[in-house]
Amino acid sequence: MRYVKISKQNTYEFLERLKKIGTLYAPHKISEKFFDFCEVDDVKDVMFEYQRTIRPPRRFFYPEREVLFTFDTRKVELYENLPSDKKQILFGVHSCDIVALRTMDSKFIDDQPDPYYKSRRENGIVIGLSCLPDEYCFCNVRRVEFVDAGFDLFFHELPDGFLVRVGTVVGHKLVDPYEGELFEEVCPDDTENMSKFEEKRTSMFTTQGNWDNLRYFMELRLNHPMYIRESEKCLGCGNCTLTCPSCKCYDVQDIPSIDGRTGERIRFWDSCQFRSHGLVAGDHNFRETKQDRFHNRYQCKNSYCSATTTSFCVGCGRCTYFCPADIQFKKNLMEIAGYKGGYS
Amino acid sequence: MSQSKTQDEGKENIYDTAKCRLLRKYKLSESDKLFLFRFEDPEIATNWRFKPGQFVEVSLLGLGEVPISICSSARRMGFFELCIRNAGRVTSQIHKLQPGSLVGIRGPYGNGFPMEQFYNRDLLLVAAGLGMAPLRSVFLYAIDNRWLFGNITIINSAKFGNELLFKRELEAMKDIATAEDISIVQTATRDPDFKGLHGRATSHFEKVNVDPKNCAVAMCGPPAMYKGMFEELIARGYDPRYIFVTLERRMKCGVGKCGHCNIGTATSWKYACKDGPVFDYYAITSIPGLI
Amino acid sequence: MAIIDGCDGECQPRVGVYALTSCYGCQLKLATVQKIMEIANAVSFESFYMLSSASKHPADVDVAFVEGSVSTEKDLEELYEIRKHSRILVALGACSVNGGVQSWAEGEMTHEELHAKVYGTGKIGMKGLQATPISKHVEVDYYLPGCPPEEDEIMYFISAFLFGTFPEPKDYPVCSECRLAGNPCILIERGEPCLGPVTTAGCKARCITFNVPCIGCRGPVPHDTAWFDSLAMTFKNKGISKDQVRERFRIFGAHNPNLEPMLKKIYGGTD
Ligand SMILES: Cc1cc2nc3c(=O)[nH]c(=O)nc-3n(C[C@H](O)[C@H](O)[C@H](O)COP(=O)(O)OP(=O)(O)OC[C@H]3O[C@@H](n4cnc5c(N)ncnc54)[C@H](O)[C@@H]3O)c2cc1C
Ligand code: SF4
Ligand code: SF4
Ligand code: SF4
Ligand code: SF4
Ligand code: SF4
Ligand code: FES
Repeated sequence: MRYVKISKQNTYEFLERLKKIGTLYAPHKISEKFFDFCEVDDVKDVMFEYQRTIRPPRRFFYPEREVLFTFDTRKVELYENLPSDKKQILFGVHSCDIVALRTMDSKFIDDQPDPYYKSRRENGIVIGLSCLPDEYCFCNVRRVEFVDAGFDLFFHELPDGFLVRVGTVVGHKLVDPYEGELFEEVCPDDTENMSKFEEKRTSMFTTQGNWDNLRYFMELRLNHPMYIRESEKCLGCGNCTLTCPSCKCYDVQDIPSIDGRTGERIRFWDSCQFRSHGLVAGDHNFRETKQDRFHNRYQCKNSYCSATTTSFCVGCGRCTYFCPADIQFKKNLMEIAGYKGGYS
Repeated sequence: MSQSKTQDEGKENIYDTAKCRLLRKYKLSESDKLFLFRFEDPEIATNWRFKPGQFVEVSLLGLGEVPISICSSARRMGFFELCIRNAGRVTSQIHKLQPGSLVGIRGPYGNGFPMEQFYNRDLLLVAAGLGMAPLRSVFLYAIDNRWLFGNITIINSAKFGNELLFKRELEAMKDIATAEDISIVQTATRDPDFKGLHGRATSHFEKVNVDPKNCAVAMCGPPAMYKGMFEELIARGYDPRYIFVTLERRMKCGVGKCGHCNIGTATSWKYACKDGPVFDYYAITSIPGLI
Repeated sequence: MAIIDGCDGECQPRVGVYALTSCYGCQLKLATVQKIMEIANAVSFESFYMLSSASKHPADVDVAFVEGSVSTEKDLEELYEIRKHSRILVALGACSVNGGVQSWAEGEMTHEELHAKVYGTGKIGMKGLQATPISKHVEVDYYLPGCPPEEDEIMYFISAFLFGTFPEPKDYPVCSECRLAGNPCILIERGEPCLGPVTTAGCKARCITFNVPCIGCRGPVPHDTAWFDSLAMTFKNKGISKDQVRERFRIFGAHNPNLEPMLKKIYGGTD
């Protein structure tokens, strides 16, 4: 792998130049407690330290709502509405979110690829950023705290800038023109500092070990009383899935025009926390109660993604941080698996 | 995988549909109609293939899409049939279509029944209600490839006699069926006035002409039926490796994307549209929540 | 695709727009949607006083939009008449769907007490009733909630209706749209009693986008999926009293049968 270094000052300049390649999105502070990926106007607004954004990065490749087709009802023809090939650059993506994107890839770019997602992914540049965990993070037990694929560049914080890992050819091409100007060679001190950062980071996680056996306990303790207790509190609001970086559910609707000749076929994010997610004709619901729906997410998120060899849940902590009912996903999982004191 | 060419191959957009013209429609029961469609594009019409147990997404532009099992024989080419129940928003409008109308079709989707595994075995097909739709495709496949299978029994059941799908078609086949070692059983479960057999599928096992040890079973009906049938079949010595059922879930995409048809638990998370809708005995009995 | 049954795009469906006790805001919304001219070309407004004084009342129509709650005997008579003359009846707006703000006294005070509180010993020119949603009295085919209803939902309903169908109703809460809009959550961040979690989506979380917590104008999420109990628990944990919570839930949700039992479950007490 190629490693380069960039100073903090030059990073701002690098971001300026990225803006010329495409639309640049990066973490911004949007309120007292919340961050979000926003289009970068002033590079000085970019937050290099943040825990999690309120909206997951998948939205740049798979927007909340999009028109898939327009149609002609008389000719019975669909006209695809593929996204433009404008470049989207995501700066400051944490490793959990990078793995989450790869879990999305495994579903949306399989043997029957989703052309909308695929096109945006191909036109996307992902630049990772190191982070320090808070008590909501558990990416380490999900084994995704350090990524080796899924990014074009990855910025590791140093006291005086960043050590940058170059992950792809696209990444090389971003660095090449500014080699010597913005980017310099990595020296042993930088490596030493990166080690120190990683060591400090590792010690900060409130859970340790790994949770690979969790999914078996999920199944062995299907009727764990936790589900009854916690689903009682649940509002069925869907925040946990809508903020989740690896949730993929969507619904589709046809909206005809007033004259009935044309219309749009749209898709928008759905959530298994909603009643209609499992509903079929004749009013039969495969996930009838709030508890069924609550349970569904716990199973889904802990299921295995063979492409990343991890669970779909990457431990970003969003579903807890953004749960209005303050339901503690991490704690509840530990209760099911019987993990004590955070150690497995 | 079969070498057959699907509509999706070589196509950019998996959600795009191919135009199909409705050629005929027949009333099968108060709420079910049979629709015969043909692809407008001659190339698709000649090359389109499917496996029994697979389904298509039928699109009425302006209304939406619904997953429907293909119920015709995979052998007859150039057209396909769908048996559709008037159940809601989209299906009620499909029922109103007149011959000559166009719909959008994409698919076929799903794994379908593993027909190759059934070769050289007897076949027991058990259908309840609308379950007859996909099983008709299996049944016709077996008849069209009669030499590949041993004895065949089909049990078609419904609550009421007039809800038995393809009742007359099956009746009309009875004569040649006997000559070909095919046993046809049609039974109404809750219809004392029905002039035919009464009771559930399980109460007609004496009419079954198959050898349990060397038989493949395909079932399609409500999950409650599967539970009872599994017990019955295992007790009678059927080989669990050759017992298959189909599952129904809400579906929007049919291609493993939209997430609605999810089933299973953390160790075995499945999408009924792509990993199914056909599942085997061991999947059903080892993964909680499938039935 | 045929435009409404047996019509084949030739005939224009007849539409009536009526008001019971209301502020006329919902009609105004309907009259001012961007594509009102297109709608006027596609349908024939038999009765719509805001647009034409040649309106009949009630007219024989394919679809009737009714705004307002039933708050007088006259309302009730009119509503029965409208229902008799309409093939499809749509409840338009919060008052019609859930009884609206004028229902706040439901189960608190009798109509007589309420009258005394508002008008003292004064007389009004009609026989008043406790305000109720129209579904308490007649069969309603479709609901367009909101105070006022949303333009995109009105448009979707009309185009779907012209297409011979109806939109799939929303059965999920405002929170979902709030999250998709990227708003910081007011409930989490400031501990304010936002009703987004129990309120039917569709407004794209309008109020929260303007930094104001939701007061539930679109009414409780249908199909018994408005979890007043869970939300009350959340509010209680944030130190909000039963009275405050109850008052807030009742602004637009007083008629929901689950409200009182669910509040009682969390806060206990006599009612
Ligand atoms: C694999 C499979 C095969 C099927 N085969 C047949 C068949 O051969 N004949 C037949 O009549 N029906 C079949 N169904 C059921 C059929 O899909 C539903 O009856 C139909 O979707 C109802 O749509 P609607 O719009 O009329 O009803 P609504 O209740 O208005 O449904 C709205 C939407 O929900 C979804 N939905 C509702 N019910 C179902 C359901 N049961 N399964 C999946 N999605 C649903 C659809 O996306 C539908 O557009 C099959 C379902 C599946 C999953
Ligand atoms: S965010 Fe919390 S309250 Fe909302 S659906 Fe998820 S678990 Fe339930
Ligand atoms: S389930 Fe929760 S912790 Fe896991 S990836 Fe999704 S939002 Fe993050
Ligand atoms: S089923 Fe639920 S948890 Fe799983 S991806 Fe869909 S919304 Fe997320
Ligand atoms: S601000 Fe209100 S509507 Fe928005 S997420 Fe929070 S509780 Fe829900
Ligand atoms: S946020 Fe709440 S109060 Fe505001 S418009 Fe929406 S439903 Fe009404
Ligand atoms: S129908 Fe969309 S994932 Fe199965």
